[in-house]
Amino acid sequence: MLRKEQNDLLTQTGPGTPMGQLFRCYWVPALLADELPENECPPVRVKLLAERLLAFRDSEGRYGLIDEFCAHRGVSLWFGRNEESGLRCPYHGWKYDVTGQCIEVPSEPEESGFCRKIKLKSYPLVERGGVLWTYMGPPEKQPPLPEWEFATVPADHSFISKRLQECNWLQAMEGGIDSSHVSFLHRGELNRDPLFKGSKGNQYNLTDAKPYFEVVESAGGLLVGARRNAENGKYYWRITQWVMPSFTMIPPRADHPVHGHFWIPIDDENCWAWSFDYCATKPLTTEQLQAMHDGKGVHVKYVPGTFRPLANKDNDYLVDRAAQKAGKTFSGVEGISMQDASLQESMGPVVDRSKENLVSTDNGIIMARHRLLRAVKALTEKGIMPPGVDPAHQRVRSASMVLAQDQPFKDAARDALLVQPNVAHVSV
Amino acid sequence: MRSESARVTTRAEARYRIEAPNSQPRAVKVIALDAASEPVVKRLAQLPWNRASFLTASAFACPPADGQAFSMTGWLSDLAGRTKDLVDEIASADLVVMIATAGENARAGSLIGDACAARRVMTTGLVLGTAAASEAALSQTLGQLRPHSMMLVAAGDEDYIEDMLVALRA
Repeated sequence: MLRKEQNDLLTQTGPGTPMGQLFRCYWVPALLADELPENECPPVRVKLLAERLLAFRDSEGRYGLIDEFCAHRGVSLWFGRNEESGLRCPYHGWKYDVTGQCIEVPSEPEESGFCRKIKLKSYPLVERGGVLWTYMGPPEKQPPLPEWEFATVPADHSFISKRLQECNWLQAMEGGIDSSHVSFLHRGELNRDPLFKGSKGNQYNLTDAKPYFEVVESAGGLLVGARRNAENGKYYWRITQWVMPSFTMIPPRADHPVHGHFWIPIDDENCWAWSFDYCATKPLTTEQLQAMHDGKGVHVKYVPGTFRPLANKDNDYLVDRAAQKAGKTFSGVEGISMQDASLQESMGPVVDRSKENLVSTDNGIIMARHRLLRAVKALTEKGIMPPGVDPAHQRVRSASMVLAQDQPFKDAARDALLVQPNVAHVSV
Repeated sequence: MRSESARVTTRAEARYRIEAPNSQPRAVKVIALDAASEPVVKRLAQLPWNRASFLTASAFACPPADGQAFSMTGWLSDLAGRTKDLVDEIASADLVVMIATAGENARAGSLIGDACAARRVMTTGLVLGTAAASEAALSQTLGQLRPHSMMLVAAGDEDYIEDMLVALRA
């Protein structure tokens, strides 16, 4: 359980909040590069950390992320005209460049220089690995660009999607470090989903539903090791990476692509669940890409024209009680991501953690909260940059492996847990 | 018509979650396995808890006095030094938390772990001092506790124990 004031502190990320200040130390994914596919394309509304913003790509291909609303009368610039190196408000023609600087106020004499006195709040927006990243903190503290491996491999090695999740970011993220639910909630998918099936590790998962856990602090966050019994007295280890504040990388299965997530607050009651899949050493196959586009693995099918999952709260997640009863799915909901999201959204927009009853196997979640609280305190009281900002903390991997009983995973997997160029993930 | 799921997952509906307690306090035994962990456990014992009790097995980590054989008598005690019976303590526990310091001798964990396994009591091993300890020392302590801990945690700061016990409603 968490006290109410701790829960509020961790779940509120708007401007001026301590947790919002922490999130504003990092480059965070803002939108897919495909959402701004060409110069002078239509702008896109973006809400992040409870701030209404507008992303656009100007005539020279420069990206901008600016306050959504015109400084003149407050209309949404989403209706703006993206033309001649700027975004023009359709109401009275005020025009802004990608930094939010007003560059034209047609009603004022050009010589007056009035437009130079108008500037919208803006944030940097840069493309890396098919994602447009933004940094919303103080300019003087802007960190180096993100170096997550999925964003640095060749473009044809990775696939990235995002979906709307209609609950607070923390309850979504905590699902990503809760390894013990896999043997229950996702058991139907392990041997069925094309991006999961065929792994020897699946059998260990399904035959040993009471894993032992090991939680070890890392420089950037946590390593959560789950061990299950394997053959000949050995252990099957699945080691999940959590890097602050909200990156998780799920241990791989066989030679399937490796996947993981970011959970980025939209506001306090919604978040973006970003999902990536990649292979470090080879391009994704046509079949793998098709499966990802079809919403398999950690991806979803969408309501057409949106990033809202097709199975959502408005249709009770298309729950299929017959499939649940037959054991095809454990909860009746189809697909790994929506199995997670349906349950996390069912907690309500912000779960009341004062009512929960955590058990010992929830230590990964308890430690993550502890580290977040500690980092927020260090940042707000002493200005100490939190873990995960340093690119070295981002050059990490998850792993799955079979080890002898006396081999500690943190030692045996030391190399496997770091990015090694041109070396595949260690996987069972 | 709105679906059930859409209707009940609003902030307004969250107000109707029943306020009655949904659990009873669990009996948690927190045991220091070595002399370095004992002051930490003593500090924790000063805080208000529901049903947590605090013990030490640090005597087990010390070599017997010159020429003496190790005696099982008195190796588990409360923080006032009163001898405690391991079987009785385990029998009344829902969770046993073993506190060790990286690089120290955590061999008492095997006895406690075996007793917990026999009684089907959940065990958590918590290794402190990981930031200051060498990799080898940390690995050694983790290795001693791993076979006997269903959950094993290596924590950089001792504040984590308090946070963990609060989170578990100890």
